[in-house]
Amino acid sequence: MRTKDLGKPLSRAVTVFFCSAFLLLFLRDFKWQGLALAVAVPMLNVLTTNLLPKLFPSDKLLLSLTNFLCALGILVLYDTNPSYAYAQAVYYFIGLVAMVICIYIIRLIRSFRFLVWPMMLAALALLVLPLLIGKETFGAKNWFYVGSVSVQPSEVVKLVLVIALARFMADRRMFPWLFFSAGCLGILMLQKDLGTALLYFFTTILLFYASSGNLALTGIGLAAGAGAAVAGYHMFAHVKRRVAIWQNPWSDYDNAGYQIIHSLMAIASGGLFGVGLGLGSPKTIPVYHTDFIFSVICEQFGLIFGCCVLLMYVALIWRGAAIAMATRTSFHGLLAMGITILLGLQTFVIIGGVLKLIPLTGVTMPFVSYGGTSLVSSLCLIGLLQGVASLNEDNLKEDLRLATME
Amino acid sequence: MRPSHCVFRSQSVPAAPCSFSRPLCWEVLSIKQQRFRFKLLAFVLFGLFALLAVYGVYSINTYGNRWFAYARNPRVRAQKQNVTAGSIYDRNGILLASTVDGKRVYQPDEASRRAVVHIIGDSEGQVSNGVEGFQTAYLYGFKSSLLERLGYLFSDTPRRGDDVHLSLDSVLCTEITGYFAANPLTRGKNGAAVVLNYKTGEVIASVSLSAFDPMNMGSVPAGSEVYWNRVTQSLYPPGSTFKVITTAAALENIPNITTMNITCNGGLDVDGQAIRDYGNATHTSLTLKQAFTKSCNNIYALLALDMGDATLRKTAESFGFNANFLFRDFVVENSVYPTGTRSRFEVAMSGFGQSSIGATPMHLCLVAAAIANDGVMMEPTLLTKTTTPTGAIRDTFGPKVYRTALSPQTAGTLQQYMRAVVTGGTGTRASVDGLIICGKTGSAESSRKGRDVTHGLFIGYIDSDELPYAVCVVVEDIVDGEGGGSTAAPIAGEIFKYIRDHKESFTH
Repeated sequence: MRTKDLGKPLSRAVTVFFCSAFLLLFLRDFKWQGLALAVAVPMLNVLTTNLLPKLFPSDKLLLSLTNFLCALGILVLYDTNPSYAYAQAVYYFIGLVAMVICIYIIRLIRSFRFLVWPMMLAALALLVLPLLIGKETFGAKNWFYVGSVSVQPSEVVKLVLVIALARFMADRRMFPWLFFSAGCLGILMLQKDLGTALLYFFTTILLFYASSGNLALTGIGLAAGAGAAVAGYHMFAHVKRRVAIWQNPWSDYDNAGYQIIHSLMAIASGGLFGVGLGLGSPKTIPVYHTDFIFSVICEQFGLIFGCCVLLMYVALIWRGAAIAMATRTSFHGLLAMGITILLGLQTFVIIGGVLKLIPLTGVTMPFVSYGGTSLVSSLCLIGLLQGVASLNEDNLKEDLRLATME
Repeated sequence: MRPSHCVFRSQSVPAAPCSFSRPLCWEVLSIKQQRFRFKLLAFVLFGLFALLAVYGVYSINTYGNRWFAYARNPRVRAQKQNVTAGSIYDRNGILLASTVDGKRVYQPDEASRRAVVHIIGDSEGQVSNGVEGFQTAYLYGFKSSLLERLGYLFSDTPRRGDDVHLSLDSVLCTEITGYFAANPLTRGKNGAAVVLNYKTGEVIASVSLSAFDPMNMGSVPAGSEVYWNRVTQSLYPPGSTFKVITTAAALENIPNITTMNITCNGGLDVDGQAIRDYGNATHTSLTLKQAFTKSCNNIYALLALDMGDATLRKTAESFGFNANFLFRDFVVENSVYPTGTRSRFEVAMSGFGQSSIGATPMHLCLVAAAIANDGVMMEPTLLTKTTTPTGAIRDTFGPKVYRTALSPQTAGTLQQYMRAVVTGGTGTRASVDGLIICGKTGSAESSRKGRDVTHGLFIGYIDSDELPYAVCVVVEDIVDGEGGGSTAAPIAGEIFKYIRDHKESFTH
């Protein structure tokens, strides 16, 4: 059995798991919304994994993994705060549509050689907006409102970042991506959005290494980043505070350490096997719906399931790297790898923060955390990845056709 | 003909020459080299995720119980509404805490309640990490199996937690508070006493004064000093009791130290600051054993300066100073031996346990226990077993080695020295007929609320295979001119006497 064929059994497991899980929660309060989600969420999974491969060749395993993670987020949100779950389900649907559009974009626009410039300009403009009209939440000023919908531009700019990096690195042009990346980092620093800045920085550096293989310059880049981190630590009080909380959250239970302590208590309460879906006190964890959603998962399903969720991300990275390695052009290879690195690092940064392995920086857990912009942009990234995968399959078919023609 | 499987449809830019827009040109990577790097990066990411999983499992395994039992865990508060807490029993089956009609009830006699209140804890969680708080996982039924929980779901009886059985002798605890009250020098003083079996680590008594009545707490404000468990939470300067560690360091690092004569001229100037013996006593030329028995500060200051800070710190750390205590049954404040560069005066003071060195009575008791147990420090334990509501055994707990603190040879020499302290030195008042008692006294200076105070300390043990017990007694803020030998040592003596007279309950 080829590894890609694991997609089908996984997709079936996802359907059964989430159908029964939502039904279980439905039995708790007999609200029709529970029943609706029990039908709708598995249905979206069935539809995407069955319909998309008919439209263009796609990676079914990657699709099933994505669906699993999105559905897990909606499930946990439905248990803790149903109104978030409804919104998240709607964004899930919008995200899937956006994903299909992204697949088409990759299939139609092959080079981005001219389009990347206006995209970069628009991205920088978008990124500056929160500084002008944004609202400050949890010490970071990285949101603004369009009507009643909150938008986090740094999530959207991720798409432009990976495309721009891949384009210019494939062309071996240094200045454009260097300035774009530095510009994004500068703006993010001004917004005090350290987590995202960290993410952008490491994605850029690692992708540079993949494209050039130049260890010396990669090292210099990392050293510069470390220097900036040390300077930032001494210059900004909020960075110092973050590190202090990470080192000893127990010293200041009521204020600074409150979040992480509640996260750790929740994970410890779950133990290996969890307290069970719908049980426990996940709502006592601060910001349980975004930053600390992994703690909720660990409390309810246990550490073993938590490790399985990590395994799902590992499988996702593996598919992403496999797609990147099967590409025929440098641009598509770097694009696929950039997306993989970005998603992988983002997951590591937030789960590491929740477990107190590294200082907590407020980035979302891809696909799972509550947040429309984040979910849609993550699904768009998967769309770009699927687009590259479909091109790979097309190339393979073309090879076979040529080979059999002789 | 089979075509090459690599058909590059739009292979991008060929190796470009250096120009202004390409200031740094590197070799063009072949698609193969690029694939290799992708693979490498994927493995880097896998490594990060493996790190997450390993760290997650490790930290829950190591700290999970502590995080869960943290007094402010809202889950425990929620469970208290639905589950009747289990009972707590001492080593002789005396009921220390139980739930009657939904209310937590402690022993009927007030003096007995007050004697064990810190180690048992209180139902309102004012004492941190008493059994009531730290063992919530058992007491409130978080350890019940799925089958048991289902059983409760289909029955009318309210859910009940597990019973916890301790190695503690609650009568001895009550007696110890009496020993404090009996002596005018210690009456009304704050202090701490802890007794444990040095072969198994089982704690049989732990008393912290001043205490409060857990069934009548209205009058005491939250956060008050009486809620502190001084045995595990208070860091005291160990004073001369630290000399056992300085001696261990000297025995292991200075050749022929046992046969050497060291001169004590009654005072020592280190960088312009004077070190005096307690009560300005002067000694003449002494061997190490005599210096230990008479507790001569000058000689210990000289020893510390001779060995240097690093050597002394290393020995202290092998005894558990600066270690992160993660005991199963106790949360013990970590002991401190200062790190970093220090002045010669501070190093000299360290030789006799002053200058920012701090240890809890529990840890000092472990130091004595390690010497008594030929260098092996056992982990202090309190739980012997837990039982389910139906009386079946849930878990039993055995002894665990914590660390090897010193070599058996050094421990043997120290045992002789500590014996000499009780037979003809500063600790004679701890001696008991019919038992071989060994020990070390200490008078530690510290400042509290801007006032210099002296604490009396005694650490010691019974040299016996039948009654292997070690104690630490601390009496705070003793009268001027008194020391550990006249305040703490007599209490230790009374404790040893009690153990001798109740042999049958301590030998099983």
